[in-house]
Amino acid sequence: MATSLQFQITSTARFSSFKTAPSNSTSNSRSITIPSIGRLTSSCCINYHRQPLTAKASLSVELPTTSAKDIDGDSSKILLEVKDLTAVIAETKQQILKGVNLVMREGEVHAVMGKNGSGKSTFSKVLVGHPDYEVTGGTVIFKGENLLDMSPEERSLAGLFMSFQSPVEIPGVSNIDFLHMAYNARQQKLGRPELDPLQIYQIISPKLELVKMDSSFLNRNVNEGFSGGERKRNEILQLAVLGAEVAILDEIDSGLDVDALQDVAQAVNGLLTAQNSVLMVTHYQRLLDYIKPKYVHIMEDGRIIKTGDVSIAKLLDKEGYKAIA
Amino acid sequence: MATSSTTFSHFLPHSISLSLSKPKLHFKTIQPIRATISSNLSDPLVLQIAETFEDSLSLSSSTTTPSLQKLRDTSSQSILSLSWPTVKDEPFRFTDTSFIKTCEIKPVSSIPIPSSSIPSELNDTQFANLVIVDGHVVSSYKISEFPKGVFVGSVNDIDSEVIKKRVFEFVSDFQDGDLFWSLNGIGAPDFTVVYVPSDCKVEMPLHFTFFSSESGDIGSKVLPVSNPRVLVLVEKGGEIEIIEEYFGADENQCYWVNSAMEVLIGEGGKVTHSYIQRQGPNSAHTKWTFVRQEAASTYKVVEISTGGTLSRHNLHVQQVGPDTVTEFSTFHLCVNDQTQDLHSRLVLDHPGGTSQQLHKCIVAHSSGKVVFDGNVKVNRYAQKTDAGQLTRSLLLEPRASVNLKPNLQIIADDVKCSHGAAISDLEADQLFYFRARGIDSKTARKALVLSFGAEVMNQLPHKSLRLKIEDHVKNLLTPVL
Repeated sequence: MATSLQFQITSTARFSSFKTAPSNSTSNSRSITIPSIGRLTSSCCINYHRQPLTAKASLSVELPTTSAKDIDGDSSKILLEVKDLTAVIAETKQQILKGVNLVMREGEVHAVMGKNGSGKSTFSKVLVGHPDYEVTGGTVIFKGENLLDMSPEERSLAGLFMSFQSPVEIPGVSNIDFLHMAYNARQQKLGRPELDPLQIYQIISPKLELVKMDSSFLNRNVNEGFSGGERKRNEILQLAVLGAEVAILDEIDSGLDVDALQDVAQAVNGLLTAQNSVLMVTHYQRLLDYIKPKYVHIMEDGRIIKTGDVSIAKLLDKEGYKAIA
Repeated sequence: MATSSTTFSHFLPHSISLSLSKPKLHFKTIQPIRATISSNLSDPLVLQIAETFEDSLSLSSSTTTPSLQKLRDTSSQSILSLSWPTVKDEPFRFTDTSFIKTCEIKPVSSIPIPSSSIPSELNDTQFANLVIVDGHVVSSYKISEFPKGVFVGSVNDIDSEVIKKRVFEFVSDFQDGDLFWSLNGIGAPDFTVVYVPSDCKVEMPLHFTFFSSESGDIGSKVLPVSNPRVLVLVEKGGEIEIIEEYFGADENQCYWVNSAMEVLIGEGGKVTHSYIQRQGPNSAHTKWTFVRQEAASTYKVVEISTGGTLSRHNLHVQQVGPDTVTEFSTFHLCVNDQTQDLHSRLVLDHPGGTSQQLHKCIVAHSSGKVVFDGNVKVNRYAQKTDAGQLTRSLLLEPRASVNLKPNLQIIADDVKCSHGAAISDLEADQLFYFRARGIDSKTARKALVLSFGAEVMNQLPHKSLRLKIEDHVKNLLTPVL
């Protein structure tokens, strides 16, 4: 296994930073993330500044974003910058996002929490270009490019990944074929030769261990008849194979028992490096015990109303959303 | 039309046949029947077609075996009560046969073409192969490798008295056919027999390739018709696998293949049947498959039907003993202005039968049409029957149509039966899932559409055949995706 892993690191490292993480790095994931918290405190402050402000003052919020960066001379690269993002449901024109602001840098783990209907899942779907929603204002810059101009597949190829809350079943398309297609789409984008089924199997095989799944899983049709846990594992398997600079995990913890949650969290931690970042969308603090965020954002009524460290998630868990608002 | 009107006037209800002495028109001799059902004798077109079929055969056939004679006699008899189907007839309610009716139907020459003139692709198989052109066996491959006692060939070439007797017993045994079944019996110049003796398990599949040598130019309104016919007789405990494949001419050629197959499976016997219909886009293809299953026998059929402007398959399975296993997996594809019709009927009269049916279809043309009538009849004594039926359709174009009639008729009271039908376009959620993983929507659409038929194509028993058919389906679908 070790040799095949080596092989695949060399062949894929350039375009998928997630892949470079050795699968056994789970135990050191904390030591990777802790130093960067200290380094990034200042950029964190931006969000703290913003919390007493409401959307009226959004203009003034943007200014510190850049100034703080200038002052601190923070070397870590901004991966994703969301400004005043507003969005409606395409069909009913009902507004869901009412001005979301968020900055994510390399190596950071963020968590978005909020009540049902606060817009957190919509936020993640809008970022990956889900056709059910229409962006009505604001900007999203991903790695220096306008994300909103890109089609969903371009966003994925650019390095943005979202694990679906309830991934859809695709009868007739096997997991291995699906991964093969997705992987080759990346190869094509990078101007590299497409891989044949055997080569793709060599790449996927070690990743299966990461998510603790049997190889027979590859011959099953995508998500067809999968249990809740298997679906989530499968999403993380796709992330591990395809790689991403920003991974949005939409309620990766829903419907999982403690063991499965630990496995999934361990797999995600194993994929974290100093070059990529994760945005977790969740209801529960429980997940944050396994995947440690640097920033926790509280979303309400289509806006991020508060940003802090993991302590606000704990407060939330103890006293509910009232304590925040 | 006008030229033949004088001929068919012989058959008008009150006319008196003057040609009893002419053997070629033997259905004229059945006066008593004509008299009793005279009210149904009003379709001169049918009689005219029947007569042209007979005329064409009378030119060539020197000797007729008793089996062939029996086939022709019973068919001639039954045709007298049949009229050309219209949309007012329930079995043809959604299937318009006017393409055939409006053409000048011309039987193909009854003289077999030389084997040198058959397209080479027809011989492209690794299995034992029998090439049947216009109903005549014109070449064979590896047939001699079959086990002793197995017979494959023309009914005229049977030398075993036992086989002759068995064939005579069963030929044209089926009474519930329609006009096309009877027309085939009248027009078949010959029929091919496959005989598998008791307890003989034939391992090598037998591949039939059917081809029509004659065709009319599009617009000429001339429709050459051939009537190939095959009888498969598997004795007790025997097993054979059959691949039945129809090839077509190019898009400018019009022709009609009216084919029939009888499959008789003895106790504990097994027949695996792959039926591939890939006729030219301007052809008509009418096909009957009649299967008779004795106790504990197994019949599995996989159908892939893509060709023809009008394609109709009647699949009728009659159970004559308990504990039978029956499986139908069918996939119909319309990428042109065409109709694909499957009328399947499974009649269970004995206990313990199991059956599974999966019908899938894709209509990828705005005037394409799929018709499916899937009937399972569980009669009074068919207790402990386990019958499942599912049909799924994919409509890819506006105005594309599908008419589904899944129906179970259950009289027995201790059975397990299920059926279901679903019609849809591709799921938006599924498409998005692909795109969210970097796969462009065109590729995603393609994968989803191609995978739709895979469930049926995966049932094809041989990898080489499966790959060939997958390629064929892919080639048809790619331009429209």
